[in-house]
Amino acid sequence: MIPAETRYARASDLDHALELLAEPDSKAIAGGQSLIPVMKLRIARPSLVVDISRLDLRGVEERDGEVHVGPLTTWNELIGAEVLQRPPLAAVAECARGIGDLQVRNLGTIGGSVVHADPASDMPAVLLALGARLRLRSPEGERALAVSDALVGPFTTTLEPDELVTDIAIPMPPHGSGSAYASVEHPASGFALAGAAALATPDGESVAVTGVGLTPFVLSGDLSDAEIFGDRFAPAEYRRALARVVADRALSAARERAKVNR
Amino acid sequence: MSDTLGVARPRLDAPEKVTGATRFAADGYVHGLLHARPVLATEPHARIRGFDTDATLAVPGVVAVLSAADLPLAGTGTDRTSEPLAREEVVFAGQPVALVVAETEAAAEDGAELLVVDYEPLEAVVDVEAAMEPGAALARTVEDSDDEGGDLESVHGQVDKGQEDDAGEQLSGNVLDRVTREQGDVAAAFAASDAVVEATFRTPWVYQAYIEPQVCTAWLEPSGTLVVSTSTQGSFVTRRELARAFDLPLDRVRVIAEPLGGAFGGKFALVEPLAVGAALALQRPVRLVLTRSEDFAATNPASAQVTHLKVAARADGTLTAIEARMIVDRGTNAGWGVEGATSLLVAGPYRWQAHDLRGYGVQTNRFTFGAYRAPGAPTAAFALESLLDELARELDLDPIELRLKNAVVEGDVGVSGNPFPTIGAVEVLERLREHPLWAQRNSLPDGEAVGMAAGHWPGAMEPASAVCRVDADGTMTVVTSVADMSGVNSGFAVIAAAAFGLPPEQVRVVTADTASAPYAGASGGSKVTYTVGPAVIRAAEAAREKLLAAAAQELEIAPGDLEVVDGVVRAVGAPDRSMTVQEVASKALRFGGRYEPIEGHGGSAQTSGAPSVAAHLSHVRVDRQTGEVTVLRHVIAQDVGRALNPALVEGQMRGGAVQGIGWALFEQLDHDEDGRLLTGSFLDYAIPTAERVPEIDTLIVEVPAPDGPFGAKGIGEAPVVGAPAAVANAVARAAGTRLYELPMTPPRVWQALRS
Repeated sequence: MIPAETRYARASDLDHALELLAEPDSKAIAGGQSLIPVMKLRIARPSLVVDISRLDLRGVEERDGEVHVGPLTTWNELIGAEVLQRPPLAAVAECARGIGDLQVRNLGTIGGSVVHADPASDMPAVLLALGARLRLRSPEGERALAVSDALVGPFTTTLEPDELVTDIAIPMPPHGSGSAYASVEHPASGFALAGAAALATPDGESVAVTGVGLTPFVLSGDLSDAEIFGDRFAPAEYRRALARVVADRALSAARERAKVNR
Repeated sequence: MSDTLGVARPRLDAPEKVTGATRFAADGYVHGLLHARPVLATEPHARIRGFDTDATLAVPGVVAVLSAADLPLAGTGTDRTSEPLAREEVVFAGQPVALVVAETEAAAEDGAELLVVDYEPLEAVVDVEAAMEPGAALARTVEDSDDEGGDLESVHGQVDKGQEDDAGEQLSGNVLDRVTREQGDVAAAFAASDAVVEATFRTPWVYQAYIEPQVCTAWLEPSGTLVVSTSTQGSFVTRRELARAFDLPLDRVRVIAEPLGGAFGGKFALVEPLAVGAALALQRPVRLVLTRSEDFAATNPASAQVTHLKVAARADGTLTAIEARMIVDRGTNAGWGVEGATSLLVAGPYRWQAHDLRGYGVQTNRFTFGAYRAPGAPTAAFALESLLDELARELDLDPIELRLKNAVVEGDVGVSGNPFPTIGAVEVLERLREHPLWAQRNSLPDGEAVGMAAGHWPGAMEPASAVCRVDADGTMTVVTSVADMSGVNSGFAVIAAAAFGLPPEQVRVVTADTASAPYAGASGGSKVTYTVGPAVIRAAEAAREKLLAAAAQELEIAPGDLEVVDGVVRAVGAPDRSMTVQEVASKALRFGGRYEPIEGHGGSAQTSGAPSVAAHLSHVRVDRQTGEVTVLRHVIAQDVGRALNPALVEGQMRGGAVQGIGWALFEQLDHDEDGRLLTGSFLDYAIPTAERVPEIDTLIVEVPAPDGPFGAKGIGEAPVVGAPAAVANAVARAAGTRLYELPMTPPRVWQALRS
């Protein structure tokens, strides 16, 4: 439970962070809630840990029909953000409230969670259902990437090693919308055995699920054809049924919230 | 005395524990300390061809790589104390095979990571039932010539070994022990019954999940005395085991039982031989602190068990016959198993007309079986109490009435062949029946139900002694060797205070080490308060005699006319003729004093048991869509003999109920088909965390134990026994279908609901 030897550097600003992260085998650390445990198990052994926690990439702001969430925003800051209490984006705060324990929510960040790409992580499902986009910076420049294009497999994203998330943009759903998150947790880890986020708008509905596949995904159809992950604790057959249950529950709750928002 | 006993008080160690002032075994400073890191087997069954230590030894700070041959062991067997590192044959994945010892913890970990072990894999024996078949591969191929590890059995429970084995039964060499208990014509009794139910029940390996992982520090004094500072349930048993394993004279080994961060049966000379072996080999102080993952993989959890059970009753609810075949997975423990205990306890606190009870202890390549709070009892009660509910359902009888009709009373002969001593089974069931939750059980919302179950623990006995010393300030120190588990020291304080005549706040309790402490056995089997308690009473009484002798001379009153009340010695009937205990003590404890020190020694050797019965109500909700079970409320009634400190008693009752909920719904050490542990961390192994534990009502029932201290009996183990069955019976009602395997996880409940 002692990490392998590593060096540590604190980035003073975004450019400095990108410069430090040019080193092969370096790793950015913010809240450390995913990276430190895998370092202690020596699954991850970066040569350099770049502390980006002091960068100005924190906070929740509504502008131009979108809600911009800084990647360093902690779960507790999400829970406290007013715009995320309102029905259209209530799924975000609702999901954050169920993550980890208080200590984890005080330190863990939304950006770290998304790029860690744990296949059973809760928040990516919410971002998928809400159609969120990441803004990425590298020494070469900037680009935008839909969360649905970023997540490709367990702990695997399409981000380049030298790219950092600088913003998470969530389109503000139209008036009369509601969103919700529902899950059944693994009794030990607290990760989702199946989790679902739903958005109900006057124009349509979308649902994304997590915990049941190689990566969280947007639901199309009734899951009969989806490739569902199973293990000795929770076989695929069970997870498939569970995914349907939590999808129904999330969608019902989202519709209820949408009514309130009319 | 009346306001000393039966009053709820905080534990004596609570302030230190809560403020972080307690120094545990991992905390002590030792000059020149080395740190050991175990290397655990990755194979469940293999021969060790050799080690490549070059890279490890090249790590700066690494002092040594030690394998079994490097430890100065006497070679007394293959039990974990005698052979703390696998010698030739690895018998489970997680077994320590080497120690890397270094100047720092980080260097030890770096070195351990680089150690290469060359294994020749052997066929792993993972399925306990298949392991019994004649011709099955053996889980251990090296002959076990002289195994004395069975000694450790003596610290748990008072359980007989049953009758002769059935010689006609063909079994493999993996079956290490068979226990048979038969009485009466079972077949005829079944045939004459109105309801017969039978089923097969399965329970997994369960981890003790103490807060403090196993830890030990060992060093040699310049005099040559080996000092062992450790987290253990018993200092004298650890001294005995270490002296045996390393062939040392008892007086060369000093064991210090440090404050215990939880044990639940799991801390008996398991890691001490590793630290001691390294310290003796390197002649330097060595500390070994297991990480949580190592503790999961390398220690000694409760056995998995398969129980085939058949029980019957007449239409009026009278129980007739019980037949059990109970297979206990001992893992690699060749010394002892719970097949004797579980096949005795499966009869429960009930009368039977005929019984045929068989227990089998079987070796496999999984862990080393160890004790866990009420070893063998929760698994037995899960099977029995589930089927008693089935009988009640078939006969349309109230479940509590069915049990009350058959509950044993003093003098009833149990399946052990011995009469039960004083036992509160009837009183406990009657008390539980009065709880409002039982009356509410038929008016609950859909998906909710209340289940009940009972369980008992026979208790245990071992001679013990204690010392009471009064200092010049009038306060008393009680000295024992007892590891302070479950608050027993706080119990000794009120016992001594009541027996002597001091306010309990003026009594402190010290756990002395084996160099100076009076003898007592390990903390286990629910025997400490019951056996050491009377020794404390006698020690306090002996000290009181010294006090009265001195006070008699000072006051010029015969000792028989004096009494001691709240720290004051006074004439009976003339309370103004008095001296304080402090005044008397200070006259004794000084140069030129004329009185003997106010001290006493007391011993006990109990010969009568004091079983405790606990019964539970569990109110659950089953989510029919997801299979999730939520315990909404839980009630436990227990016969505790006499509640010396109700706060501690209720703590034991709640703790037992919570662990039982863990057995019922959450806990399982699961291996893959090859015998590799899948649930070796708290990310995979679920325990009943605070948010999952409901309000628990505690109903204290007091049926005094004739030989217990002020009527008290051992209470630590009984409360866990019936709890899983109570939850299971509630789930069976709420779901409309019964689960025969623990834990009742959401996927399993969902599956049961579908079929």
